[in-house]
Amino acid sequence: MNGFRCEFLLKDNPQFRKYFWIILLIECVWLALVSSVPASQNSIEQSVFRITNYQQSPDWKSPWKMKPTSQGQGSGFLIHDNWILTNAHVVSDSRMLLVNKISSPEPFLADVLAIAHDSDLALLKVRDPKFYQDLKPLELGGIPELRSRVRAYGYPVGGKELSRTEGVVSRIEFGTYVHPGIDSHLLIQTDSAINPGNSGGPVTQSGQAIGVAFQSNLRLNDVGYFIPVPLINRFLADIKDGRYDGVPEIGIETSSLINQHYRQYLGLPEDTGGILVERVVPHSSADGVLLIGDVLTKIEDLQIDAAGMVRYSEQQVTFFIEAENRQIGDSLQLQVWRKGKFINLTLTLKAPPFGSEMRNSYDELPEYVIFGGLVFIALNRNYIHSPGNITPPLAYEHWYREIERPRTRHEQVVIVTRVLPSPVNSGYTNLHNFIVSSLNGKPVRSLAHLEKMLKNMPPETTNVVFGSEWHKIPLVLNFKESLEQHNSVLKRYGIIDGSRIYADKNKDSQ
Amino acid sequence: MKQNNFLYTLLKWPITATVFLFTSVLQADPPEIKPWFQQAVLLKSYQQSFDWRTPWEKREIRTQSGMALVVRLPVSVRISVSENGNNNNLYLLTTAEIVSDATLIEVTRKDIRSPFQAKLVLMDYAANLALLQINNSKFWRNLRPVKWTPVKSSTDHEAKDIYSLKIKSQDEWTMESGTIDRMAVGHREVSNAWFPLLRLNGISQSGQGYPLLQDNETAGMILDAGTGEAKAMPAAMLLEFLKHAGSNPYRSLAHRGFIWSRLPQSSTYNHFQIPPEKPGIWISRVLPYGTGSDVLMQGDYLTKLGKWTLSHDGKVEHPDWGISLFDLLFLAHLKVGDSVKLEVIREGKPVVLQTKVSAYEENSRSVPLKIVGTAPRYVIEGGFLFQELTLNYLRIWGANWQTRAPMRLRLFLEQNKAVSIYENNKTDISSTGTKISSEHPPRIVLVSQVIPDPLNIGYQKLSNAVVLQVNGKQIRRLEDVSTAFLSPINNFHRIDFLPGSERLSVILPVAELADANQRIKNNFRIPKLQSL
Repeated sequence: MNGFRCEFLLKDNPQFRKYFWIILLIECVWLALVSSVPASQNSIEQSVFRITNYQQSPDWKSPWKMKPTSQGQGSGFLIHDNWILTNAHVVSDSRMLLVNKISSPEPFLADVLAIAHDSDLALLKVRDPKFYQDLKPLELGGIPELRSRVRAYGYPVGGKELSRTEGVVSRIEFGTYVHPGIDSHLLIQTDSAINPGNSGGPVTQSGQAIGVAFQSNLRLNDVGYFIPVPLINRFLADIKDGRYDGVPEIGIETSSLINQHYRQYLGLPEDTGGILVERVVPHSSADGVLLIGDVLTKIEDLQIDAAGMVRYSEQQVTFFIEAENRQIGDSLQLQVWRKGKFINLTLTLKAPPFGSEMRNSYDELPEYVIFGGLVFIALNRNYIHSPGNITPPLAYEHWYREIERPRTRHEQVVIVTRVLPSPVNSGYTNLHNFIVSSLNGKPVRSLAHLEKMLKNMPPETTNVVFGSEWHKIPLVLNFKESLEQHNSVLKRYGIIDGSRIYADKNKDSQ
Repeated sequence: MKQNNFLYTLLKWPITATVFLFTSVLQADPPEIKPWFQQAVLLKSYQQSFDWRTPWEKREIRTQSGMALVVRLPVSVRISVSENGNNNNLYLLTTAEIVSDATLIEVTRKDIRSPFQAKLVLMDYAANLALLQINNSKFWRNLRPVKWTPVKSSTDHEAKDIYSLKIKSQDEWTMESGTIDRMAVGHREVSNAWFPLLRLNGISQSGQGYPLLQDNETAGMILDAGTGEAKAMPAAMLLEFLKHAGSNPYRSLAHRGFIWSRLPQSSTYNHFQIPPEKPGIWISRVLPYGTGSDVLMQGDYLTKLGKWTLSHDGKVEHPDWGISLFDLLFLAHLKVGDSVKLEVIREGKPVVLQTKVSAYEENSRSVPLKIVGTAPRYVIEGGFLFQELTLNYLRIWGANWQTRAPMRLRLFLEQNKAVSIYENNKTDISSTGTKISSEHPPRIVLVSQVIPDPLNIGYQKLSNAVVLQVNGKQIRRLEDVSTAFLSPINNFHRIDFLPGSERLSVILPVAELADANQRIKNNFRIPKLQSL
């Protein structure tokens, strides 16, 4: 019936004849696409792996000890050079990494080649070359369009086989990366289901990987996030020299100039955007270049609006995007409104100061010093976020001091985290979170500095006096007894080393 | 072993029964209830505290019930109130907690059904005591004041037994028995005050303002009770309160003038050049008020208070209560105004200091502790709600305010080791030896919220931001805000905040401010734009 009707229409209707061929062409293209999709999907699926991480993290309360081993599951996918791209949080604190291919029970041992905790990315390599046979790496795409469809692959908990979910790109913006805790980078939101275990898996579009699934918002429904390709490319470029340097930061805090009266007060020309610089972080990229009160109007060739946004792809994102896609050492052109004039400035990008203290720490054993049974550590994010440690004094030293009193924060904030009871420290056994400001009247700059000061203490010293701005009563120990009892304290509490200090981290203190 | 157990079981019950009978015989009869019909009245208060989040509003009404005791002030004491309805200097004594922020206080006699309205004439919130009057002679008819007797030391076994009233209904008054656990030093956190308090066991039915009876005499007043434990203010402190109730301005009860620590070990003694065998306490902070605050210094090692030698843990051999914390001396032996000698070791040398016993003072600190009965102070300019940081403000974060209130604000309160803002707009941790001036301690002024208006578009996320300057002028109290707004610079007002705030500065146009203020007042139904 239909054939007859077609024949009839083709014969008697020239206009239809023309359209028929167009329709046929579209149909052919569609058929070709349909037939190619399964093949493409198949190769993608072959290149998405299940990663099992046997991890062990340190006990920050007893820094010489490790916590029990735990097992985590995540995903990863093959990119060029036989590299497996995944999230840093999937492979952090690893003791052994196993990689399984789709529907294969055979685990392959893998090693971490590079890891970027600040942008939650990592590269792995499987030891056995056999693993890579018949695998096709995924190509990295670009920034997807809003509302376009994407597909997430991975091994979420609740099963061992590969999971495939679909959704649309719902938002492209800056947001906090949970793994480092403090860093904000570009992220893409999708309603494609991203669940624990999906982390590290690819998010694809048109057969290309356009991101790495990495976190979701458990308080909201259908909100998953993936790391976009520009940040992945930045990571891959960063490690080319065999070392990861990190995402640079400008190092300023800004406030919007949405309020028209503030703009009038500053005398800004009409239709000029710009954001107000209200803090310049000491020792940062902007230190010595930007000034408090500057209005940042342009970054590279992008105009900054009054909310601090610039045009990026289809939408507005914060101007920090221009720094995050660059490397440490790169320069950045800025235009500011200062004292009634536009000025062009150039800054050289640096890593954020105090980054290692402010970020969650992984893959590193804590530094510590034990003296007279007192356990000293350097305050960091891991410690302050341990239960019971967010106290106002620690919070002040960790966060507020440098903001309110710039350049007064020492290299490290040294604290007595606990006391190992022994005769030399009787009376202090309940001491906890004692912030050490000085030793025998001299300021303590870091843990390494403290250790050095203790080692160089003259033998005739009677007492060692640990002073604190927060505790009226200093912590005083008999020097001779502390030395005499040192080994017995370590032995009593099963501690092999009385200190752990990384020389390369503390060059200034040596 | 098994045989022993059997023997024990066999003997256990007869022994228990004998002990019970023996103690029952020994225990004195409960005090007579009838005299209390003339000495105590039931109290019901309707309280409505201020809403510190929206300081022009009040919170929901709540009711509390308790008792008030009829007391006679000494003849010399005159409280300047209009009329008290009696000529005998009689008043009602109860707790401050039950009548603070009251909108209506009703008291009911046992023999008269209808309640009388009482008026608060004096409140010592730190001591948790309040004095009421009733301007109605009918109420006072046949009422008799309580006769106070000092508490007998609980070292005497019999003296441990105490009684209090138990009120089931207006008609059904009985006695409840309990025991004195100890005379302790109570720390009232909302005021940071230390006063001697009796800790009681077995008292759970009585409540605030109930009498405490020992040997048929009134030895104190219950401050709070529940789950078998109660706290009571001993008669000696109550008499002190009544004696000074008429002082103008009112002065509170005798109080220590310092915070102290125990030195942890011999190396610390050695460091401070104190002989380790010398007992005493280390003064870790000098308070802006209280005994010794005028002569002591942080770092002094206090060895003797008057004739009493202090132990390493702050205890003295109390004549009535045995080894107790030195604060118990304020019960009877050290009265406000008494001369007292303090012996200290200062920088390794013994020093004798002469001072006078002095009293607790309220709110002589940068972050005032709990304020009751007074409306919150505030100033609104351009939608910016300026308030001073107080304990009341921190408590708007609920019962868990100590973990939920903004960390930076909590830091100002942290054990008075406040990180304070000093002259040149930088911050400093209050230096150890510095004594806080009790006269005008600077306050922390906040923009607690921004009330939305077209004028403040772009600023509305700002909240709980500590104000450093307005129009270049240092802000040390709320009044400074109003004054600074009188001096705009080049037709703009500029407000600067503590670094770390949501934003560090805002600008408001002078020309549009008055209209915006009026608009905000009308739009949000705010009765007045400032309350100072």
